[in-house]
This record gives sequence, C-alpha cells and structure tokens, in this order.
Amino acid sequence: MKNKISVLPLVMAVMMLAGCQKSEDSKASSVADKGKLMMATTTSTADTGLLDYLAPIFKEDTGYTLEWASVGTGEAITMGENGDVDVILVHAKASEEEFVAEGYGVKRFPVMYNDFVVVGPADPIEKNDDIGEVFKAITEQELKFINRGDDSGTDKKEKKIWTSIDVDPAVNPNYIQSGQGMGATLTMADEMKAYCLSDRGTYLKYKSDSTIGLELEVICEGDKNLLNQYGVIAVSPDKYADTNIEGAEEFINWICSEKIQKLISEYGVADYGQALFTPNAGTDA
Amino acid sequence: MKFISELVAKGFSDVGVMSAVKTTLIMAISSTIISAVFGIIIGLLLERFNFKGKKIVVRINRTLMGVPPVVIGLVVYMLLMRRGPLGSLHILFTVKGMIFAQVLIITPIVSGMIYSSALKSAMPIRFFAKTMGANSRQTSFLIIKEMRSEIYFALVAGFGRAISEVGAVMLVGGNIKGSTRTMTTAISLLKSQGIFSEGIALGVMLLLIAFILQWITDFLRKEEIVDENY
Amino acid sequence: MKIINLQKQLGNLSIKINDWKIQDGKVHGIIGANGCGKTSISKLILGLLEPENIIIDFETIDSSQITMTSQRPYLMHTSVYENIIYPLKIRRITPNQEEIDFYLTKFNLFHKKNEYAPRLSSGERQKLSLIRSLIFHPQLIIIDESLSNLDMESVRLFENTINDIQKNSPVTWIIISHQLAQIQRMCDRVHFVDNGSILESGTVEDMLFKCDNERLKKYIDANILSFKEK
Repeated sequence: MKNKISVLPLVMAVMMLAGCQKSEDSKASSVADKGKLMMATTTSTADTGLLDYLAPIFKEDTGYTLEWASVGTGEAITMGENGDVDVILVHAKASEEEFVAEGYGVKRFPVMYNDFVVVGPADPIEKNDDIGEVFKAITEQELKFINRGDDSGTDKKEKKIWTSIDVDPAVNPNYIQSGQGMGATLTMADEMKAYCLSDRGTYLKYKSDSTIGLELEVICEGDKNLLNQYGVIAVSPDKYADTNIEGAEEFINWICSEKIQKLISEYGVADYGQALFTPNAGTDA
Repeated sequence: MKFISELVAKGFSDVGVMSAVKTTLIMAISSTIISAVFGIIIGLLLERFNFKGKKIVVRINRTLMGVPPVVIGLVVYMLLMRRGPLGSLHILFTVKGMIFAQVLIITPIVSGMIYSSALKSAMPIRFFAKTMGANSRQTSFLIIKEMRSEIYFALVAGFGRAISEVGAVMLVGGNIKGSTRTMTTAISLLKSQGIFSEGIALGVMLLLIAFILQWITDFLRKEEIVDENY
Repeated sequence: MKIINLQKQLGNLSIKINDWKIQDGKVHGIIGANGCGKTSISKLILGLLEPENIIIDFETIDSSQITMTSQRPYLMHTSVYENIIYPLKIRRITPNQEEIDFYLTKFNLFHKKNEYAPRLSSGERQKLSLIRSLIFHPQLIIIDESLSNLDMESVRLFENTINDIQKNSPVTWIIISHQLAQIQRMCDRVHFVDNGSILESGTVEDMLFKCDNERLKKYIDANILSFKEK
C-alpha cells in the first residue's frame, strides 16, 4: 500500500514535467528554457509573496520555471520523501536534518530566517520581549490561544517553546487547535480575540491585505527563541533517479548567491516598512 | 492493507478522530432534521400555491442547489463574525454555526427535490383526497405520507451533502480540535501533515456511512419500481 | 340536485351549463364524444377544478359525501385494506369488516386484502377504487369510465351492486361511459354532453331510441356497434 501511494504521484509528476516542457518553449527568454523545477515549501514563503517575486527572476537567470506547492512543513517533507518534488524549502531544522540523514535529501543549506511573533489583543497582555513570560501569563490567565496543530514548522516551533519553558499549554481550557494554515489561524485569532504564534511575514501581509482589517497587535517579538531558520534541500537522485537534480542544485546555488540574498533582504520593505526575511546563507540563526 | 494493521497497532494520531466522528454525526443529523422541516414545507408550499414571482423563487432555489458550499460558508462567516450583523449570537467557530451554514446549504436541496417530485405526485393525491372527502389538513397530511419515499430520498441526499461537506465547515467551524473538527476537515488536516493512512481510514468510514445510506435507498426504491400511480 | 349555473374556460373548450336538473336517488348516464367536457364537468361538481362561476343547489346531498372514481384511480402506497378504509378513517368511522370482506369477496380481491396496492393489475385497481368509493356510503357517486378496463363478469357484478344499492337505500349516480348497452341497462336518465354543454336530457328510451337531435343521433350511430352487440 505504501509503495502504491508514493509511486502514483511520482508518475503524475513526471507526466506533468513532460507535458510542460513544450508549452514553455514559446516564451522569450535570455537563457535557454530548461523546463520546470518543482518545489515543496511552507505556506509562509508563498503567503508572503516572496516566491511570486523570486520566480520570474529565477527563470530569467537560469531558464527554469519554478513551480511550488505551499503546504505545511510536515507535508512538504513528505512530498520530498515521496519524490513528488525536486527541492524543498522549509523551516524545521531537526526534521530537515533527519530528511538528509535518511537519504532523501542531498544536503541542507541554510538560506534565510524570519522571526516569529506572538500576536493578539493588546489587553490584558502587555507587550514584552520575553516569550516565556508571555506564554506563562497566557496559561495562568487562561486566555484564548490558538495553536495550529497541523505539524507545520510554526506548530513545531510553538511546541518547542512550550517545552523549553516547561509549561503544558493544554491545562489552559482556552488553548485550542485550529488545524489550519497561518492565514486562517490569524483570521480566527482576530475574530476570537485570541493569541497565536505567527511568522512575522504572514502576519504583516495579512494585517495589510485583509479587507476586514485585522486588529491583532504584536505582543511579543525579538526573543532569540523566536528566530526561524529556513533550509533548502535537493531531493536525492539516489532515491528517485528521475528527480531534477541539476535544476535543484542550480536553485540552491542561485538562492544562496549574493545577488538573491540581497533581494531577499529588501523584500517587503516597500510594502510593510520592514523586511520579511533576513538572508543568512551558509550560517544557521 | 498495511495501513490498517499500522492503525490497529498505533491507534489514530492526535487529531481527535473520535470527537470528529461525533461532531460530524451531530452536525449532519441536526442540520438534516432542520433542513427537512424547512425544505419539505418550502417545497410543498411552492407546489401548492401560485403567486407573483414564483418562477424566480423556483429558479433561485435551483441555483442555490448548485452553489459551491464554500460560498455559503463565506457568507455565513461574514454574517456571524464579531463585526457581522449576527455577531452578537457568538456562534462562529461553534457546532451551532456549522449547523447554521449546513442548513443554508441543504435546505435548497431538500426543497428543490421535494418541489420537483411534488409537481409530479401532489396533484393526483390532492384529487384523490378530494374524492374521498378529506379536509385540507387531512389532505396535506396524506400528501406528506404518500410522498414519504421521495422525502426520504431528499433527506438522504441532504445528509450525504452534510457529512461530505468540507469548505463551509472549515470556514465557519474553524476545524478546532475536540469541538468543531469533523471527519472531512480532519482528513484535510491529516493530509496537510502528510499522514495519508489515517486520512484514508477516515475516508473509508465516510464511505461506509454513504454505502449504508445507499443500501437503504435502493431497498426503498424497489417499492417504487412497481408503482403505477403516475 | 340542480346546477343552476356553471362556467369554465378550459383551453378551447368552454363549459357552460344552465339549469341542469339531476334527480336525487337516480342513476344518470352521461354520454358524449371524447373531449366534450364530461370529465371536466364532473371535476367541477366535485370542486377539483376552480370554476369561473358556479351555483349548485345540492338540495339533500351533503357536499362532503360526493365521490368520484376515475379511469386511472390513485392508490395509496399501502395495502389494499388500508386503501379501502381510508375514507372511513378520515371520518372517524369504525370499518365494518363484514361489509369490506363482502365486497372484497364479491369482486374477487379477498386474497389480495393485505397486498401492496400499487402492485395490483389495472382491472384490480379499478375494482379496489370502486369498493373504496362504496364503503363510506356517499350520496353522490361519479363513475368516470371506471368500468372500461373491467372484464364483462366484473361489469355485471358491479351493475348488480348498483341495483342492490338502489333497491335498499338509493343514492345518486353519475356514470360516464361510451358503452351504450351499459347505459341502457343501468341508467334511469341519460344526458348528452356536446361542446361543454348539456345538449339533451331524458329517459333512456327517449334518448337512445327516439331522439331527433342530429348531433346525438350522430354520436349514437358512431357508438352503435358496441351497442348492438349487446
């Protein structure tokens, strides 16, 4: 059963790859068209618009058309393990290292980081830069807190923080799990006047784009525990011979290059007054 | 079927499956009952009375039968949200809110189906009741009684829609573990976590419910085949 | 009873009746070509159609004690027995089992007493509908070509039944039929409907043998074949 599940999407992915190459020929480009590169990534990179911004530049620089599925980190890694994609861009360092150790990935490259913030109503929690204090206060006062509970990078990060401060969030009867993506969870938190942990990029984008006007405020930011490192990993051709390893490696080199790192550091400044991601290729935050 | 043995060994992961099954059934049954009451009344009244604008009402009903539930979900969300016109009810992200959305989705299906079958069968029943000397209350009662299999089919269709609904339920319910998470939204969540085997197991349970309903429907239809009344 | 005025436009056919006397306690035959309005007139008397104008003096007849059986009777989705007792049930009358069994036996339906009624053959359906109409002892019974699907034996049985009823406690019958022989055997008076109006009324003798109306003559000539056979 397990083999069947993993083979079918692979076949479909190959068929899609084959089908797409023709249609891309017509597009004029300074570099020869090299077809499609399929990536699995987290909702944060897609929801913030970073990939929409980078993909055309990638096409121009290398000739590859970048396509991506934006899912939770857990699913993104599963897609890599099933060979459905050529490269993954996620933020869960431990899982990423396991992915490489098990032979699914070639090597993990740190790319950039963003940071998490705790958002929610300004009352009764006062803004504070110590995540431990904020989380403890929420639990003690039994304030509403929405956990994504979807095994995403954000979910994992949140659970790690609870463990590190040695508090069981479940003792709070108002601690609930939404099982949904960041955007949906932010909208829910705003609606319910609840707190939640969000990556800054998604929060800023939703705050500025939402047509109903989010009232959520940043309650906690700047704690070292809130940094969120992204890694990029090519899916190993040893596991799946037909994976696009050339494209994946070219993408990794490209996104770690000085030029693109600079673009990442500038992305979002114009719209939100601050950068959404901090590039740090080669070093982990 | 390795995943079944895996499931038996490990049990379901921590997404609140049992509570999701319970929520699904509570939501589907309550919304089907409420929609049945509204849908049957609307469907029969539409057949019974002619009034100005009836054609438009029927057309709207038919359109609503095919509206993507997620659109209804969005509308209900906007009605129920804190700043929405019904925000004071405080039923967003509750099972009640989900039932509210489901009733809006299912009622047109029930009323549309009842209206269509009543167009065919209510008139002969009404004639018959008159020849027997039945009064109007007895006539209405007889129409409902005689249309019981059509009503049952409409309810099965409604219930089927209710248990299979994802989009509207996700929007309005919020997929909150232990309270508004249903079987379908749990499947959606399991998929997003890459846990396919448990999603399939839940899917099989839903299929089983659908199969039982279908089986009863077929059983009732046998009676219909020999019916020469129309 | 007396129909003082009756008007109704039905497509091309306009029904117009003035001062039509139907003597109580007699058997009336209605003849006329297809589409001349025989069934519509019956339906108007019963209130199954909404007239533009109607003034009926029912005299001794209680308007809730009128019944009509049609060529294609409606059978309720239940047993033969339940169908028969329906008119009693809505009147809260305890069924007279002996009478029911008497009729069932007479019309050779007794062995089907507990069968699902819509499963009956078309002849059996008509017999059931006749029994159902007799069982609550209505004061006016309209038989709209209900005898057309019956075999000769059943028709004779039914004619005997009418004779028995007329001997003991006479009621008013309106029998619509093209079978002139049948009309001759059963009826006290005959009415000829043409183009929505009562063109001629009279005794069987006057109408079938001594008429001088051209249109009635033409109708009788056209139906004479079946008439002479008997």
